[in-house]
Amino acid sequence: MSRGANTGSLGDLQRAFQDYLLVANDAFQAAVRDTNKADRVTLLDVYRDGYALRLIEVLTTDYPGLMAMAGPADFDHLARAYIAAHPSHHPSVRWFGKDVADFMGRTPPYNGAPAAVEMARFEWALGEAFDSPDVPPVMADALMALPPEAWETLSFTVLPSLRRFTFAFEVAQAWQRREDVEPGNLEVDAAPEPVAWAIWRPALLTSYRSLDPDEAAMLDALTAGRSFPELCETLAPFTGSEQAPARAAGLLRAWVEGGMIAGFSR
Amino acid sequence: MSAAISANNIGFGLGLRPEHYEEIAANPGRVGWFEALSENYMVPGGRPMHWLDSIRRDYPMALHGVSLSIGSIDPLDDRYLADLKALADRVQPMWISDHLCFTGLRGTNMHDLLPLPYTEEALGHVAERVSRVQDRLGRRLVLENVSSYVTYAASELSEWDFIAELSRRADCEILLDVNNVYVSSFNHEFDALAFLRAMPRERVRQFHLAGHTHKGSHIIDTHDHPIVPDVWSLYAEAVKLFPGVPTMIERDADIPPYEELLAELDIARRIAAGAQREVAA
Repeated sequence: MSRGANTGSLGDLQRAFQDYLLVANDAFQAAVRDTNKADRVTLLDVYRDGYALRLIEVLTTDYPGLMAMAGPADFDHLARAYIAAHPSHHPSVRWFGKDVADFMGRTPPYNGAPAAVEMARFEWALGEAFDSPDVPPVMADALMALPPEAWETLSFTVLPSLRRFTFAFEVAQAWQRREDVEPGNLEVDAAPEPVAWAIWRPALLTSYRSLDPDEAAMLDALTAGRSFPELCETLAPFTGSEQAPARAAGLLRAWVEGGMIAGFSR
Repeated sequence: MSAAISANNIGFGLGLRPEHYEEIAANPGRVGWFEALSENYMVPGGRPMHWLDSIRRDYPMALHGVSLSIGSIDPLDDRYLADLKALADRVQPMWISDHLCFTGLRGTNMHDLLPLPYTEEALGHVAERVSRVQDRLGRRLVLENVSSYVTYAASELSEWDFIAELSRRADCEILLDVNNVYVSSFNHEFDALAFLRAMPRERVRQFHLAGHTHKGSHIIDTHDHPIVPDVWSLYAEAVKLFPGVPTMIERDADIPPYEELLAELDIARRIAAGAQREVAA
């Protein structure tokens, strides 16, 4: 049975409370009392302010590079717009900021700042790598021990933390300077041409680095499950067919030593 | 030996915070136990799970959640309960606690501890949900009194009568947050001692202590300051009423060096020891 907003049913009160915080519907004021020291609006503001401030703090923690680019005032503006557009649907605030880059990419005025969108994408990927599943990287010895014929069908899996990006701006380089500048003063240069990047976490510390174009193409093919001979074919347009196997072996070795490869199958 | 029995007399603990991981490992034996925030460890792996497992090997641990939303009229979140159960299987905590409040509605999480109206309807609703959560977790739930800033006109019971009755009806336990009692007693102008005295003695499983921010007309529970003298005084009364209950200090913002929290924990130890001597005399 449905009752009016202020008759005190648990559901009515909870809906009114949430509407007070989410959509600034003030009807809930009638459901609570003034005290001798404070009026109800002052007291309700503890919750209304707290709701936004708590989530802004979460985004500040997740996006320090974006804060360093935007400065507190613009970051606050962005965060409040995101909070309004993306209420939290997960019990943990850990996942609240997941859609910031997508939100910025489609929402004026933020979509007019592509370097900031890339920074958001980079920072979220760092966060995803930080607490991704723990999978020990494969050791080079295990690959070296394989008989030569195994390489004809060999395919690989990468660590679950591995993310691949192509950035038109030097966000990773700028991110390293995020604490060296006053918030709002972090400049992010455009790259001479778009650059491929990989982010992954081989142990407890996250790694990231740029990739040469042929390396990025081969890594994408490897991630898609292509066999070693197919990886060599992927490299051929870059290196020529003759050089491709040696280049493929060299790149694979670097990825194994960098802790990027989780396993292989014959 | 059950977790509940081994948890007796474990004494004084701290909240497990990432800022202190290395210092905890480098300073063994300074703290009796740690309380880990459940949601912080509902992640697949990496540094959080590494340190959780590592510190758990050396210390007893309790799990403390902020998202159970036990009072919400939304259905219980099955995925959250499954994650909590999996975390409990991994950590083997002494107990699992959360807050007597609602934290979301209509599928949207507010990430705040929103107070409930203290009505018969709410009491029945929460008691039924506590029973279901306890069945799911296979253990008693420990529920904490929250700091609150508003009083519902609809409330029919005092907060302390609500909690006491809930603990009996749902057969759950109580995490008595002494700072929250103090904060709410100031905000809602009630007698903090009356609150403490109304708690069923055998159901108080743990104390929380924390700092707050005084705004003149009201107090906000911010966990970003040292514990104030008035809260220490109330704690002295609490340890007389509930001797031997484990105590823990929470700090969630402006987190100080580990040594500072250890020194604050020593204050709690001295107050508890003094209260025990007083009771014995």
